[in-house]
Amino acid sequence: MIDVVAQYRLEIQIEDDIVIVRRKARQLAQARKLDPFATAAITTAVSELTRNVLVHAGGGSVVLEEISDGERYGVRATFEDHGPGIANLELALAGGHSTSKTMGLGLSGSKRLADRFEVKTEKGVGTTVRIEKWQGL
Amino acid sequence: MHARYLRTLKFDELELASRRTFFRVTDEDLARLASLRSFAEKHTEAIVEAFYELLLGHPETAKFFSDELAVKHVKKLQRDYFLQLFDGRCDLAYVENRLRVGAAHERIGLAPKWYLGAYRRYLEVVREQLFKTFPSDEARASMESITRIVFFDMSIAIDTYIAANLETIGRHQLAIRELSTPVIRVHERILLMPLIGTIDSLRANQIMDALLLRVVEEQARFVIVDIAGVPVVDTKVADSLLKTTAAVRMLGAQVILTGISAPIARTLVQLGVDVSSMHTCARLQEGIELALQLAGKVIVDREKGGAP
Amino acid sequence: MIGTVPILKIGRTLLVSIQIELSDAVAEGMQNDVLAALERTNAKGIVVDISGFDTVDTYVARILAETAKMAKLMGARSVLVGMRPEVAATLVRMGYTMDDVQFALNLDEGLALLGHVIPR
Ligand SMILES: Nc1ncnc2c1ncn2[C@@H]1O[C@H](COP(=O)(O)OP(=O)(O)O)[C@@H](O)[C@H]1O
Ligand SMILES: [Mg+2]
Repeated sequence: MIDVVAQYRLEIQIEDDIVIVRRKARQLAQARKLDPFATAAITTAVSELTRNVLVHAGGGSVVLEEISDGERYGVRATFEDHGPGIANLELALAGGHSTSKTMGLGLSGSKRLADRFEVKTEKGVGTTVRIEKWQGL
Repeated sequence: MHARYLRTLKFDELELASRRTFFRVTDEDLARLASLRSFAEKHTEAIVEAFYELLLGHPETAKFFSDELAVKHVKKLQRDYFLQLFDGRCDLAYVENRLRVGAAHERIGLAPKWYLGAYRRYLEVVREQLFKTFPSDEARASMESITRIVFFDMSIAIDTYIAANLETIGRHQLAIRELSTPVIRVHERILLMPLIGTIDSLRANQIMDALLLRVVEEQARFVIVDIAGVPVVDTKVADSLLKTTAAVRMLGAQVILTGISAPIARTLVQLGVDVSSMHTCARLQEGIELALQLAGKVIVDREKGGAP
Repeated sequence: MIGTVPILKIGRTLLVSIQIELSDAVAEGMQNDVLAALERTNAKGIVVDISGFDTVDTYVARILAETAKMAKLMGARSVLVGMRPEVAATLVRMGYTMDDVQFALNLDEGLALLGHVIPR
């Protein structure tokens, strides 16, 4: 059972939102005493996924949450957009594949950085990506 | 705090139902237990006293209850515990409450054999009182209901004891792990990290983080990572070593990998590692020499003369 | 965006030290500024101090790496200095090791590294 301690919803519409969203993620991670490595991991993953929403889906939103399992705290980010969906999820998750001539490491990298990673995508409907990062033991 | 054990033990409504069936804890039993409440209240004191007489009278268990204040405290807990048997409920909240017992005993190191023995004493005293108070038919039925819930309780206490014990072991392993990854300063701005033991992904991450922090802290220019003590270098371990090497480079320092045996060399090459960009040595001593040489230092042999 | 980041010239080396949050725009501005400065001056080396960055994602890292490559085409060598441990760990875990970039621990070492190759 995971409790949501606090929740913030942010819009992702313009490039400046990338900085705003990741700052908020960093703030939550620091408030919940994630170590610097875990903090950098979640902040960077959030930065990547926010940019993806903006670049690949033309905008969307993110819900940032402080979460707890009764023992530890963590930060969760759930991105939602109504863009074109990820055409080839397997390829996108393998890493190194981009449809926009960029690095193609955002999605796969976020997965590797997160303690939990979920993606749901449907062609023409949109994409939801959820990641969690927890305090170390 | 104890809710955590519910999760660890995967104790949900389904598990509860299944266990109740197996231990035959029926709604009828619960109703009977509730009806015995006033009986229980009347005899709590005597039953708890008899219980502690057993525990305090045995040298191996007495040592867990050394000071008087503590005994007073556990007696109070025991009274509450006993009376809750007659709450007439057996839901998740009840289970959560029962989890406490096993966890508390694990914490003080009281092994299951002792409290299983103590449970027997419980039943013994309760039986005596039941048959004194009620006609034998009623006493027998009541005894059966109490036995069922007590055995149900024991199963939970044992489960929790095991879960708590596993957690303790996990914590120890973590502590040992941290101890087993020291970073040693061998010379000005030269660090040595001897890796010993198996490297799983958790430890690989810890190794990287710890090493990077030390590199910046010490402003180290060279890091010797000795892997002679790692029993198996599979592709995963090799990959994590490469990642660590790459990250150290991004800080502006260099890794020298030493302790490379023939099988490790084979793995690295088969992985397609660009060995030309790496400093590697078979032996630690050569690694230290290489670091010193790259740092512009020389070791001279006094016997043979040589520079100054 | 021009003039977003302060660029100092020491001898024949450009010193870039970015103290504000590295948004995409700032990173792109930095690239433009550095290349413009290379055109204007006879600089042969660039030291970019990134010790102030607590988050560098692959997009920004790539701009940094590409700036170094572009500078090289214009005849200047670059060094990134002061990357934080958690930034290095994060980039490497994402699979970006910035292989074609040179790094140094701090400003002094970065300057020293270039000093060997840049005539005064
Ligand atoms: N929110 C999204 N909507 C649609 N497509 C996406 C989304 N996120 C990622 N993708 C697809 O997955 C690919 C890989 O994403 P990523 O790993 O971040 O690399 P990059 O953004 O550099 O292309 C993208 O090129 C794009 O095709
Ligand atoms: Mg991306």
